[in-house]
Amino acid sequence: MIGFLVRRLGWMIITLWVVFTISFALMRSVPGGPLSSERALEPEIEKNIRARYHLDEPLMKQYLRELGNTLQGDLGYSFKLADFSVNEIIAQGFPISATLGIVALGVALSIGLTAGIVSAIRRQSLIDVTLMSLATVGIALPNFVVAGILIILLVFLWPVFPAAGWGNLSQLVLPGFCLGLPYAAYVARLARTGLLDVLSQDYIRTARAKGLRTPTVILRHALKGAMLPVVSFMGPAIAGILTGSLVVEQIFAIPGLGVHFIQAATQRDYTLAMGLVLLYTTLLYTMNLLVDVSYVYLDPRAKLE
Amino acid sequence: MSEAKSELPSQRAAADDLQRYEQLWAEARQVHGVSLGRDAWRRLRRNPSAMLSLTILVVLSILAFLTPALPLQSPRQVETLRSFAEPTSEHFWAPHLQTPSAQAEGTNDEQWAAFWRDVDLKFGKLDAIEKLLLQARVAVFGPYAIGSICGTDELGRDLLSRLFWGARVSLIVGVVATLVSLVIGVSYGAISGYMGGRVDNIMMRLVDVMYSIPFIFVVIFIISILSEDSIKAWLIDHGIDRITIFFFLVGAIYWLTMARVVRGQVISLKHEQFVEAARTLGAGRMRIVFRHLVPNLFSVIIVYLTLTIPRVMLFEAFLSFLGLGVEPPDVSWGLLANEGVRVITPVKIYWWLVVFPGIALGVTLFALNFFGDGLRDALDPKLKNR
Amino acid sequence: MTESPRLLEVRDLAVYFKTDEGIVRAVDGVSFDVDRGETLGIVGESGSGKSVTNLAMLGLVPQPPGWVERGAARFRGDDLLKMSERKLCGIRGRRVAMIFQDPMTSLNPFLTIADQMTEMTRLHLGHTRRQALSHAIGMLERVGIASPADRIADYPHQFSGGMRQRVMIAMALSCHPDLLIADEPTTALDVTIQAQILELLQEFQREQDTAIIMITHDLGVIANICHRVNVMYAGKIVEEADVASLFASPRHPYTLGLLSSIPRLDERGAERLTPISGQPPDLANLDNGCSFRARCRYAIERCANEIPELRMVSHGGQAACHVDVAEAAGQEKAHA
Repeated sequence: MIGFLVRRLGWMIITLWVVFTISFALMRSVPGGPLSSERALEPEIEKNIRARYHLDEPLMKQYLRELGNTLQGDLGYSFKLADFSVNEIIAQGFPISATLGIVALGVALSIGLTAGIVSAIRRQSLIDVTLMSLATVGIALPNFVVAGILIILLVFLWPVFPAAGWGNLSQLVLPGFCLGLPYAAYVARLARTGLLDVLSQDYIRTARAKGLRTPTVILRHALKGAMLPVVSFMGPAIAGILTGSLVVEQIFAIPGLGVHFIQAATQRDYTLAMGLVLLYTTLLYTMNLLVDVSYVYLDPRAKLE
Repeated sequence: MSEAKSELPSQRAAADDLQRYEQLWAEARQVHGVSLGRDAWRRLRRNPSAMLSLTILVVLSILAFLTPALPLQSPRQVETLRSFAEPTSEHFWAPHLQTPSAQAEGTNDEQWAAFWRDVDLKFGKLDAIEKLLLQARVAVFGPYAIGSICGTDELGRDLLSRLFWGARVSLIVGVVATLVSLVIGVSYGAISGYMGGRVDNIMMRLVDVMYSIPFIFVVIFIISILSEDSIKAWLIDHGIDRITIFFFLVGAIYWLTMARVVRGQVISLKHEQFVEAARTLGAGRMRIVFRHLVPNLFSVIIVYLTLTIPRVMLFEAFLSFLGLGVEPPDVSWGLLANEGVRVITPVKIYWWLVVFPGIALGVTLFALNFFGDGLRDALDPKLKNR
Repeated sequence: MTESPRLLEVRDLAVYFKTDEGIVRAVDGVSFDVDRGETLGIVGESGSGKSVTNLAMLGLVPQPPGWVERGAARFRGDDLLKMSERKLCGIRGRRVAMIFQDPMTSLNPFLTIADQMTEMTRLHLGHTRRQALSHAIGMLERVGIASPADRIADYPHQFSGGMRQRVMIAMALSCHPDLLIADEPTTALDVTIQAQILELLQEFQREQDTAIIMITHDLGVIANICHRVNVMYAGKIVEEADVASLFASPRHPYTLGLLSSIPRLDERGAERLTPISGQPPDLANLDNGCSFRARCRYAIERCANEIPELRMVSHGGQAACHVDVAEAAGQEKAHA
């Protein structure tokens, strides 16, 4: 277990280092360096700025300095929001994005699992067909279209929710729902397939032959095995929710990391963009690690390799 | 049978064997072999939702290909006077193009030159096939075009026409980018699986690491760097536009799963006798992998293909939505949806700008998903009824 | 109740399945009885309906695609097929227990042996957790698992195939059922383990007076432990007799075929094994004739037009054949 964690941590550091190096190389390969050529600066000011970001030093020195800083958790200053360090921006945006992400994950799991289990138990009934068609719609429709339609319906035509912004609970519902919906659809399909898979296993027949009632059979004997595909999907789902938050935060004007990232990308705020990419990589890696570990606790046959 | 007694036992046994083999042979002849493809097609045909999806996809592709030949308005001509016009059946069939006619002034050649200048303005640079299709359109429909039955956008551009021209971009991006990912994934997976041992170990460890990288963020980062003005100018000089970059970036992301799947299949196939046979005949490694193993993965690959295209299309829409995908004046469905969502205001609801692109995307992705599922069931009957 | 001395009476049981190819009559009009302490063998090739018959009695046929078309299965006088699910749950495991073919897949890999064994006695016998645990350990010891108190907390994958089947038996018998249905309990095991498992079953039978229905395609198993045998073919019972008579003078061509396709130590000479030629019929497309006639060397014209009914034959049991096989075989020998 310890060995496994250490090895995975080692891989994570290697991954982060690769991401850092590629990003650094890309950033510095832009003609004129990371200071974009959009507006001409007074030579004096430019020189000051270059000094502030250490752009006047040789490349190798810059690389080592930044690597060192990054290792110490200092991601430097934003290029565009010059008064803020990347760390400050993350500290401000992360709680917001995390809340949204957790709500979305909650939506995905609660709706998805319920729908999937109901579908599997009522296999080939009307409710199964309806739920699975809805799930396919959920997978097929991009979340910004869903968001657009929901805003038209629930904000303007029948005003239940506020259109945008951040701060109170009702502003969390629509974005959380839009973000979680596609993953609810995936979870529903996986849970249904997983449960049907398990229900056709011999050991379920054994359980029924032992005289256990249907609810006991499903809850005690089937559910654990059926959840395995859902658990392994949690890694990709979390990655997807992180990605989806880019769009959803944009639409609902939520001041989270997604909005910062898009701004950083479109305005070429390289330090901020790189800091966020590193953060997202760390997050995703940690989540995947958690998923792998929890898998072992769920399935007694699995071993950490 | 009574003579049989006088024969030697071994002879009798041989005769028995012969008789039995004949019997078996007769039985075997009664069984008609059905090829995997035909069998799958038979099962697919019995699946109404998959067949409906297939029909939708075929019709859609044909329409997208024929778009220049259809009587549609310009997808990019700005007419601010009719900004945000609601869907209407007015002017349902009105002249739109400056086709040469006897009433107009100027010689025929001048008129044609004017016509092509106008076309350039209205449709952008067209390639040879598109020009041919446009000529066909003029021959059939004359100057007429369908009115704005789906409404117009902020700049007064006809949404129906933009949907059709957007379909071309969206579909091509989906298919080509998926093919790129397919080529990378199949090669990588097949080589890794066939080589085995340490090579396989390293190659797959690399895939594991890549799974943990949030590629979409890296891609956005790369796109933003590549759209820096001077780099962009350099790229365009070398004939590389955003869409081409997109193809390769998507190819670089979406091959991971394919590589894993193909590797697994290759490992299970590589000890089959036909591979041994090819090796005995002196076939080289690459030949065995790409001539003997990969064709056997056809069903896996085709299923994966149909399931990846919608994901790639969704990703294109996603990037276009963020303003990092297809660039105006080109259109794609994602871009249209973006424009629709952007102009949502409490004052006036331009529902058509969200709903129509949404329907177009939704129906296509829906059809692709359903068709992919149906295809998987048809090719792998074990998975059916799930 | 007292009018029904039989432990189990199955009458005209029919189970159908809906498939892509049409309606499959997996079991079509099967009747038999089982008495206390008796071992009934059901033999037939795969797909002959022997497992489905028994699953259907306990309401374990997957629905859809399958359903019980008609018939009755009276257990101590009560029809299992008309029983409420709730009442049936009280019979399953408590009165009628089952053991399945593949011990590797029949135990839940996610639960410990203790979990799987105790939930049964707690449910049926009202044991407390502690009672159930000590009872389970006792049962495991009884079936020959070494140091059961330590191993009971293990998961199934930590046991070998033979050990798992022992666990299955311990579990099935832990409520002292009146009837044990053993669905090919030894097929997946190697030969030495097979013998041990059969012996174990017989021991329990003697001790607890349990009736056993032994489903198998292995005539060796039948000869070993059964008192009576039903031979099934294409969803019907084609011959029924006590074991000695069946082996001595089979009266259905299919039984004859089965017997001549197994090696026998007591027959010397160069007698070659003769497999039954041809394939079993497509159960979705049965016609109005005997379903075995295509593979039958004694088939006559009547076999194509009339489904043979079970009738009494000279060995004291019943067979469903239009031809007197003993006579026909005798004539054939005379010719040769």
